[in-house]
Amino acid sequence: MKQTLFFDRHTALGARMVDFAGWQMPIQYPQGIVAEHLTTRKHAGLFDVSHMGRFSLTGDGAPAFLRHVLTNDCEKLTAGQAQYTILANDTGGAIDDAFLYRLTAEKFLLVVNASNKEKDWAHLQEQVFGFSDVVLEDVSDEVAMLALQGPKSETILQSIITEGTLPEPKRNALGKVSIGGTQVWAARTGYTGEPACFELFIPAAEGALAVWDKLIEAEAGPIGLGARDTLRLEAGLPLYGHELGTGKDGKEIPIYAIAQAGFAISFTDPNRQFIGRQALEAQAHAKIFYKSQDYSETAALPKMVRQMRLLDKGIARDGAAVYYESRPVGWVSSGTMVPFWEYQKNGQAVQLTDEHSQRAVGLCMIEPNVSVGSEIEIEVRGRKLKAKIVAKNLENHQDSTAYAVI
Amino acid sequence: MMIDSEARYLKTHEWAKKDGGVFVVGLTAYAIEQLGDIVYMELPEVGKELARGDAFGIVESVKSASDMYAPLSGKVVEVNEQVPDSPDVLKTDAYGAGWLIKIKAGDAAQFDSLMDADAYRKFLETEA
Repeated sequence: MKQTLFFDRHTALGARMVDFAGWQMPIQYPQGIVAEHLTTRKHAGLFDVSHMGRFSLTGDGAPAFLRHVLTNDCEKLTAGQAQYTILANDTGGAIDDAFLYRLTAEKFLLVVNASNKEKDWAHLQEQVFGFSDVVLEDVSDEVAMLALQGPKSETILQSIITEGTLPEPKRNALGKVSIGGTQVWAARTGYTGEPACFELFIPAAEGALAVWDKLIEAEAGPIGLGARDTLRLEAGLPLYGHELGTGKDGKEIPIYAIAQAGFAISFTDPNRQFIGRQALEAQAHAKIFYKSQDYSETAALPKMVRQMRLLDKGIARDGAAVYYESRPVGWVSSGTMVPFWEYQKNGQAVQLTDEHSQRAVGLCMIEPNVSVGSEIEIEVRGRKLKAKIVAKNLENHQDSTAYAVI
Repeated sequence: MMIDSEARYLKTHEWAKKDGGVFVVGLTAYAIEQLGDIVYMELPEVGKELARGDAFGIVESVKSASDMYAPLSGKVVEVNEQVPDSPDVLKTDAYGAGWLIKIKAGDAAQFDSLMDADAYRKFLETEA
């Protein structure tokens, strides 16, 4: 079992450690999943995400290779920008979803899921054959990775920076800063739905532990994998193995099933023949028809991932059957009880209060005609619980605060 | 208090205590600690007939849903409705205010066949 650089920090904080994709990771700290979720939404959460895979791609040929092997177009990035992207297969399914960071014109960093790292590496090794001037390296051990997410994250990060300024704009920008002499790449990315969000890439050998300590001293709350999952779920973000990869029916999930596909796939350059393009174009085509309520051709995209909120008491979890007008239409792909801060709205302004509550939310994979606003039923232990398909469970206020849509 | 010396136990971490003519049933402090934040519970209706080993309710944390099992056969005569509304009491008083149901047992001798506090303590050591 592997340990990240921060293992001793987690145990010293009293974290409950679990095995995750071959790593010993904190599932929760003594505060618990509910408190950690709430800390991130109102204050700032610090996540050790060093278990994720980090691949460096350099050389003049790197862009051409990335434009072949990833669904998004890396040439849309200038140095200092990042994008959501997918490693697709020929049939339009996902080998993995990933984030691509363009550090400089010829230097890219690809961050992949811990659970798919070996598979991704083998795929990239196989595909890079035939491309020249590309150096592909696994830098996961050399570069530590932390996420800092939540409304106070910018103030906290600002307070420990000794040189340089945080990158702008607030979404997907990337820049180099110095923290006590350690050169850190700070990216405005994350997996929590927080509009104020950072992911930090820190040389493992030089001061990564000091950066963790400084962030904790500046009162960022440590957050485990449990709350990481509830945060992404509330934000409606997909998780490989649930909303991407293989579905509960054993079939490959078409990438366009997820709402984020449009941000991850680029057809702009008609001459770019990336892996999976043909199949993905067929999926995109089906989705256009769905938008005008035409569900006559569903072969390319038989199910869509939608967000739901339970109306009845209870919790609908991964695997529960979903019914619409008494007919089975799919299943819950992720779901649990998630806490939220109550809030007051004065005109446009949103103010989180000190009261919190909870609600059962989730993602489900269902037939495309079951659109937003539909009432569905979810089978839980033989009973059918009422739920509603919603556009979103989380809303952003002024690029600083995320709050619950109730 | 991790273990109540008055109580008898199941390996599935339910406890039972004698209270006059009925048996009070709850979840052990160990189980509650292992579950983490409890976010949802279902308890039976008063009047429900339970056989020993029947699931009498559900306890759910963010990560999991678990059945709770009856330590004795009998009829549910009282349910602590406050616990599902404010499960924090389980963390502070698992063997007192955090009780879940009261059972009027058909065969009181079933109680004596449950693990006593020492046996449960030894069982927890093997679990850890």
